[in-house]
Amino acid sequence: MTDLIASESQLESTTDRPSRLLSTFKSPLALAGLVGTTLIALAAVFAPALAPHDPTGQNLSQILAPPFWDQAGTLEFALGTDGLGRDVLSRILYGARNSLTISFFAMLLGSTLGLITGLLAGFFGGRLDSVIMRLGDVQLAFPFILLAIAVLGVVPNRSAWHIIVVLGIPGWIIYARVVRSRVMAEKEKNYVVAARATGASKWRRLFIYVFPSVWQVVPVIALLDFGFLIIMESTLSFLGLGLPPPAATWGGILAEGRRNMIVSPWLPILPGIAIVLTVLSINLLGDGMAKVIDPSGAKGGFRRLRPEPTPRADGPDEAPPLLRVRNLSVEFPDANGTISAVRNVGFDLQRGEILGVVGESGSGKSVTASAIVQLIDPPGRVTSGEILLDGEDVVQASDRRMRQLRGHSVAMIFQNPTASLNPVLTVGYQMREALRTIGIQNRDVKDTVVRVLTTVGIPDPKRVVRQYPFELSGGMNQRVMTAMALAAQPRLLIADEPTTALDTTTQEQILTELVDLARSREISLLLITHDIALVSQYADRILVLYAGEVCENGPTSRVISDPAHPYTRALLESVPRVEVRSDRLQAIPGEPPDPRALPIGCPFAARCLHVMDICRVEDPSPVEIASGQWTACHLWTEDRAEVMRS
Amino acid sequence: MTLLEVTDVTKGFEVRTRRFTRAKGTLTAVKSVSLQIEAGETLGLVGESGCGKSTLGRMVVRLLEPTSGEVRLSGVLYDSDDPVLRRSVQIIFQDPYTSLPPKMTVGRILAEPLLIHRIVPEGQIESRVRQLLSDVGLKPEHANSYGSELSGGQRQRVSIARALAVEPELIVADEAVSALDVSVQAQILNLMRDLQEQRGIAYLFISHDLGVVRYMSHRIAVMYLGEIVELGTADDVSENSLHPYTNALLSAVPSIHGHVSGSRVESEPPDPANPPSGCSFHPRCSWAQDVCAVDSPQLIEWRPGQRAACHFALEVFESSRERRHDQATRGEN
Amino acid sequence: MRGRALLIRFVQMVFVVVAVVTIAFFVLRIATGDPARLVNPPGTPEEIIAQTRAQIGTDVSIWQQYVDYLSGAVTGDLGTSFRGAQPVADAVLRALPNTLILAGLTVSISAVLAIGFGALAAWRPEGLIDRLVLGFAAVAQATPAFWLAVVLILVFSINLGWFPAIDMRGWRSFVLPVTTLVLSLSPILVRTARQSFAETLSEDYIKAARARGLPTWRVLGIHGVKSAALPLITLVGLQLGFLLAGAVVVEAIFNWPGIGKLILDSLASRDFPMIQGGILVAAMVFVILNFIVDMLYAVLDPRVGAAQA
Repeated sequence: MTDLIASESQLESTTDRPSRLLSTFKSPLALAGLVGTTLIALAAVFAPALAPHDPTGQNLSQILAPPFWDQAGTLEFALGTDGLGRDVLSRILYGARNSLTISFFAMLLGSTLGLITGLLAGFFGGRLDSVIMRLGDVQLAFPFILLAIAVLGVVPNRSAWHIIVVLGIPGWIIYARVVRSRVMAEKEKNYVVAARATGASKWRRLFIYVFPSVWQVVPVIALLDFGFLIIMESTLSFLGLGLPPPAATWGGILAEGRRNMIVSPWLPILPGIAIVLTVLSINLLGDGMAKVIDPSGAKGGFRRLRPEPTPRADGPDEAPPLLRVRNLSVEFPDANGTISAVRNVGFDLQRGEILGVVGESGSGKSVTASAIVQLIDPPGRVTSGEILLDGEDVVQASDRRMRQLRGHSVAMIFQNPTASLNPVLTVGYQMREALRTIGIQNRDVKDTVVRVLTTVGIPDPKRVVRQYPFELSGGMNQRVMTAMALAAQPRLLIADEPTTALDTTTQEQILTELVDLARSREISLLLITHDIALVSQYADRILVLYAGEVCENGPTSRVISDPAHPYTRALLESVPRVEVRSDRLQAIPGEPPDPRALPIGCPFAARCLHVMDICRVEDPSPVEIASGQWTACHLWTEDRAEVMRS
Repeated sequence: MTLLEVTDVTKGFEVRTRRFTRAKGTLTAVKSVSLQIEAGETLGLVGESGCGKSTLGRMVVRLLEPTSGEVRLSGVLYDSDDPVLRRSVQIIFQDPYTSLPPKMTVGRILAEPLLIHRIVPEGQIESRVRQLLSDVGLKPEHANSYGSELSGGQRQRVSIARALAVEPELIVADEAVSALDVSVQAQILNLMRDLQEQRGIAYLFISHDLGVVRYMSHRIAVMYLGEIVELGTADDVSENSLHPYTNALLSAVPSIHGHVSGSRVESEPPDPANPPSGCSFHPRCSWAQDVCAVDSPQLIEWRPGQRAACHFALEVFESSRERRHDQATRGEN
Repeated sequence: MRGRALLIRFVQMVFVVVAVVTIAFFVLRIATGDPARLVNPPGTPEEIIAQTRAQIGTDVSIWQQYVDYLSGAVTGDLGTSFRGAQPVADAVLRALPNTLILAGLTVSISAVLAIGFGALAAWRPEGLIDRLVLGFAAVAQATPAFWLAVVLILVFSINLGWFPAIDMRGWRSFVLPVTTLVLSLSPILVRTARQSFAETLSEDYIKAARARGLPTWRVLGIHGVKSAALPLITLVGLQLGFLLAGAVVVEAIFNWPGIGKLILDSLASRDFPMIQGGILVAAMVFVILNFIVDMLYAVLDPRVGAAQA
């Protein structure tokens, strides 16, 4: 349950189609990288045809000729000549050929070794894993580059193969570690366990199930490794440990050019530019691929996107409720379209009242809560509507004003209490910090911490303040969160699935305490949950959301005993009850609509037992059907509400 | 006929007990549990997180080996790689998002078990896959979809179809509907009940949700800290419980018919690596006497077909009957 | 970490050092063949080569040499240089601080840059700062240290004359070598820090902290840094090897009297004991630094202290 609800707030689409890697090239940078890499690779392959001169041909009459942009330069030696009169352009082209070939084979060697060892170590674990990883530790615990330098320095008759082996072998550990950790994560996943339960042998599980999910990471590392190896190869040739002269290598051209750098500064500079462009292209391509495989990177940070202010239709209210939400719409644009998470939601919350907000995943209940504290995850944004807290529209409030309101007027507690506390700071630190933020004087802070922890039923507050969140149970952490939220004496407390992550017996304790505290302090409580039975025990009123819209809003007893919306009714009938034996549950057919492609008309129409023609054409607006009870259903406007009760 | 026979099964895991040391302790996740499931029967296994219900479920499917004890299927002990076992017992997991291979189409996922066990000739695989899809209420087109393109409910239907492919006698459903929204959950529960009626499959139905367990099960076993504390028919356990822990669980279940007052428990479950002496529930139990801290109660048959591990089971029974009576009268009002 | 865990970690360290020395010893020997031949010019008469062998102690079996070397190393005797006959240990220990100071400055400056720019970049992903930081990191990552050093010398020593191009004399001589090393180490650190911050900032506890009305600097500077710095520490440990490789180049170009230059010079003169000794000391420093990194991690992340020890 936890996972699913968590995913609601992110509304992420993880399309896992095997052809994902191709979508790399949607990014212009990655495309530039691809073009650059291809051009350089072609230049390296066709160097013999492209090079205007013999790269090793000395021409002592043309020593240190300047490049063409210099007044003395000629196009015959477009990039000038070196101290032995060799054509620099030709040498750089051949340098690309040498450098890329050596780096490519070194990469092939390292990645093959790493992929095999990583797969085996990760999948079979045990002793094999320990041996492989211990070897890796030794390797990582020592700069093998240094050893590579030493070996190349002493080996007689150095050749390209020596360089390939010396550069390639140390790379295995990078691949092995990543592949191993991916394999280990993957083999524990339910689909692999399920394959084992259906009788798939271990080799079948490794190659048919695990391998297809992990191999993509190898080309990504390989590309980044390739760039690194090109730099290492040039470094070696710069130090005189690469291909022996007169072979053209980028590092070698640079080292030789360095001797003449005062007269001919382009000599050391040009090969460097070739290296930078090559490695940059390869890295951009690699980064682009990495983003596709692991799209965890950039979320929206702390951005807050606000709509244009809309002119207020009605005049100032005589006695505004504590919270009034009007026509609230929230959208999350993403690569596959726009998710309308909340559409035209409106409701009031009076002072001291407890409003239960009920809905399934994707109903928009958590997004509504985030909108009230103005902490919607970017790129999500409020597209229209207003949220009046004590008459003040928080949607239009400045960031500074919002920080004042959060903590002081509005407090919030979240679904997963352990994840909502910083894991590397003690409970006491986080409590003190919260209390200082709301203006409690330094000398009183410690006592206040203990006092508020006691009020939420923590038996040993002095011990708890020294502990880290991971050392406490989920229930304890939720009490800490509650204590922090209530310490500021807020007027509004938003509890977003506060007990979903907790066990049944703990859930009841925590909620009862929370509601008692809110009642005794006259704090208005917005209790968000997927469990209509749970909310019915605590809330004064219930707001039912479906696919981002309000279905029904009314006093708890009315909503439970005589629901006005077919969805609420169906919801109540589809929950299996423990106190009575049920013969067959009335399941709601179908599934909620895709939030990217909402149907015209009522979003529940496709699943509704009493659907009428108008429902598929026109989205119903909420109407007040009895004092304080609102519903958005055509059955009421068409005067056919009785069919529901039959 | 007894299909599954679990006898005195125990599973311990090695855990690090204290920070900064390598001292290892044993966490006994499942403690001498015995139970039977008849062919075509559903046994509900209910308990809170960490009580060992999933561990027990995995031992039944032999994805975990018991530290001691026996698991017999139709009277036979199986090796964990035995193809007969792998055809007879299947498992469905909670998280519909990780239970399908990301790189396979639904058709391929369902073909896999058919290929492994050569259940139908190569040529008939496609038609059998179509059949499986329709059995679980999916369309033939779904064979070409990837798991990521399906909704949670549809994925869970695919998981059920995969389990059905080998024509098993027993399916272990480990929190199989817990990740689903209530409106979809009911569909899946009804599907599983229908499949049982049509094919006589037995279920070990593991869940933390008593309402769901009662709806699905013929009999219910309640687990606490690795032990079965109560075992009886679904009606008896839900209405006339013998164990204070069952009572506490029942009264913590929110009901749309008002709050059930009753034996609420205070505090939270103890650390399974460091369980209390005697009856492991005694520190939280309102019935606890001195004897409970010393003497660990046996699972005894107190009423016909209803067993409980409690020294005061009959007293608890009386009080739960009273509570049940109160509730019934309130429900009528 | 307490006694027992420390002891285990120490044994692991010794194991790594011995393993590295062993690998270095045999790989170098296999790569070179007979050191006595390398030391002498080609065509040297066999009797002179045999003499050299006796002189440098390679006339016994390779296993015997290995055992001798190890037992010498334990007592701090790393042999005597082929050239000049000075004890290897002295030369290495004289060079070591010069490398350490270079590496230390580089790591500290790079880490501060990484945390600062990483936090700023992740604060507004795809904003101006983020693009600049990532763009700069991408170019810097593609730039080889040796070329950068040459360019810096061209601009700042030869053209502008602000900083000396070679030798270690006064604070000015640190500027160019440290800049070169920082520019080659920091890109990967900055990128990792940015990624790590981006992940941290989308954690529930960051949202919860903001919902409590904490000021932005506190959310970023305390809650963000404390969590996001952890992967950075691991990475610094992993990057120390490449830093050392960079140091070899930088020391060669700037004529910096450190371990890297010592090894390069010894390579040129085929001074075996010196190469061997340089690698051994580098390995030890390395292992010790990695140990410190691990300790730091355990101190900063209470979960690791509890779970792994």
